[in-house]
Amino acid sequence: MEEQLEPNEMIIHLGPQHPMQPGPFRLNLRLKGETVVDADIELGFIHKGIEKILENKTYLQGITIVDRICYLVALVNEECFVGCTEKLLGIEPPERSQYIRVILDELTRIQSHLLGMGEFGEFIGFVSMFMYTIREREEVLSLIDMITGARVTHSYLKFGGVRDDLPDGFKEKAIPVLNNLKKSVGDFEEMFHTDRIFRERTVGVGVLTADVAKNLGVSGPVLRATGVPFDIRKNEPYLIYKDLDFRVCTETAGDCFARVQVRLNEIRESIYILEQCLDQLPSGPLFPENTYYGRRTPVMRVPAGEVFHRVEDPRGEMGMYMISDGSDKPYRVKIRGPHYPTLQALPPLIIGTTVADVAAISGSMDGCTSEADR
Amino acid sequence: MDVTEILKSLTDTFPEVISEATAESEIRTRAYVDRKKAKEVCQYLKDSLQFDHLCSVCGVDYIKRNEFEVVYHIASYDHPVVLALKAKLPRENPQIESIVSVYWNANWYERETYELFGIIFKNHPNLKPLILPEDMLGEWPLRKDYKGFPNKTARNLV
Amino acid sequence: MGKVKEKKTSKSDEPSEEEIPGVITTTSNAISEFLKKTKAQDLINWGRKNSLWFMVQPMGCCGVEMISMGCAHYDTDRFGIIPRNSPRQADVMLISGYVTKKYLPALKRLWEQMPSPKWVIAIGDCSISGGPFYESYSTVQNIDKIFPIDVFVPGCPPRPEAMLQGFVELQEKIKAKKDIGTEY
Repeated sequence: MEEQLEPNEMIIHLGPQHPMQPGPFRLNLRLKGETVVDADIELGFIHKGIEKILENKTYLQGITIVDRICYLVALVNEECFVGCTEKLLGIEPPERSQYIRVILDELTRIQSHLLGMGEFGEFIGFVSMFMYTIREREEVLSLIDMITGARVTHSYLKFGGVRDDLPDGFKEKAIPVLNNLKKSVGDFEEMFHTDRIFRERTVGVGVLTADVAKNLGVSGPVLRATGVPFDIRKNEPYLIYKDLDFRVCTETAGDCFARVQVRLNEIRESIYILEQCLDQLPSGPLFPENTYYGRRTPVMRVPAGEVFHRVEDPRGEMGMYMISDGSDKPYRVKIRGPHYPTLQALPPLIIGTTVADVAAISGSMDGCTSEADR
Repeated sequence: MDVTEILKSLTDTFPEVISEATAESEIRTRAYVDRKKAKEVCQYLKDSLQFDHLCSVCGVDYIKRNEFEVVYHIASYDHPVVLALKAKLPRENPQIESIVSVYWNANWYERETYELFGIIFKNHPNLKPLILPEDMLGEWPLRKDYKGFPNKTARNLV
Repeated sequence: MGKVKEKKTSKSDEPSEEEIPGVITTTSNAISEFLKKTKAQDLINWGRKNSLWFMVQPMGCCGVEMISMGCAHYDTDRFGIIPRNSPRQADVMLISGYVTKKYLPALKRLWEQMPSPKWVIAIGDCSISGGPFYESYSTVQNIDKIFPIDVFVPGCPPRPEAMLQGFVELQEKIKAKKDIGTEY
């Protein structure tokens, strides 16, 4: 990037504060006229050092810190951390807790996809999409608020179960919201398919093929839009996903339009999963029987060992590698975020396109810079 | 592919390079690899055993044993087995060969491990800091004997 | 206006330029110092407090609540507050979350680009006392020594209604002429 510039080339820095980014990162573009010749990304503007902080906190305090890796999908981050620790402890939560966790995971997936589509619309100038999806998202957030007590960072899961039971009458309040959401998703799909300007800006833009996507290491809706059916909920099922009936949504085109279509279909599948869970919810204890989990345990020593656990985040595959040395604080926690490889794959994709397409491509990746930086 | 088949094929092809290969469950295995041959093992895994997805590359500081470890987690898009390859490095001069030519997305993982621990990856195309500011290079924050943590300059704490 | 004619700028040290007959020269400081003592300042403050435009920069976890505050259920437009992307068009800077060592020079440059009068509202626990990341090696603590903060909104993250209350408090402060931002 720092070589000698030719007469009609220039370098622009889309700096940390820019209207087309979900979080601060710097994108350096080298342009020849309007075409991008070279691109480079600088990260680290919201790096907090979570991996070092976790080495100084107990496991119970760690749940609150892990919440804040990606604030939009806090419950899935907690699920990964608590799942790792439960594997080290050798316990498994009872069925009712597993159903409650799946309900919360799918509600989180719905609201994350709605916000992702809304922000994509705002970056390319389609502001009405942003306003409509945020209005639907507020309804879903109020459902999550009813269960956990907070809108954004929850600290709701515990080792062996969940903190509190579902409130009374939750099913009666949830079913009208889900029916309304099914109708709204149909309206959004019609809005995307019939709007001519949206189709011209997204169809055929930022095309990825399956081989290139596998080589670049991406995962999540970006990979499923190229035709590869890779979903951790089907490959190595955790919690009760092996008992539920759902399908993996794929498309074949691989462009921005296909990624939006995959997210819409995934919202429909999540609503179907939620209806099954609310029907089959069993009654029972929240924590394992004859153990002290669930009562106040301020000091908890975890036996020595190491484990690698993966879950399906709305953006892709999230993993955590945890090493314990037998004390009450973890020895090393490595967080593998889902948006890190997708952001790394952005510069090869935008070489050769125009500046206006850069906003469309980077918006359709639906990123959260906070978890790339940690 | 089965876990036992994978481990058998790996230990048969590289008899003196792989040591302590264990299968922890049906989908998780672990093995130690000699640091000079890690790249060849990764190439063999990608070509013959369908391990084409690199999950992460990270470093761990074992200060009591006086060595570093670089851990590669390699998975596949077709079968659910995850293999954790570990390479031991001495603490005074940690160097290892980079695997960017085998897996393209190892680029940023190795840059981050370099700036947090000080492990040098040879033949890396662009080894410079990614997340930390430029003037914090050389402090290696994630080592166990780093002096600047915990930071105590906050004023209004209760 | 009679008084202003003779009053030369007592604060500036520049040499007197050539006097053009019929033209009054002064600096804007003198005008605003004069106006602060009159009733016209109340009218100016009423205009300023009812249309505070803030700059959109989601930095940390509180950023997503800032976005929610501007949209459907917790509308800010009814107070006259709208989001602007460019610092040149904004009045209020929201520090929504923690500031890292790498981001601080960029933040200072954004602050200098904003035209005066400008105010700062600090949202979240991270700007008050560090929040959950007070022992990190990468965050900068004690932000109120660097920027002149008028209102602190506690919470981790605060609800959108609490952030609206923060804006209302700033409006009350401007009306009572006790804010720091107008000095800039």
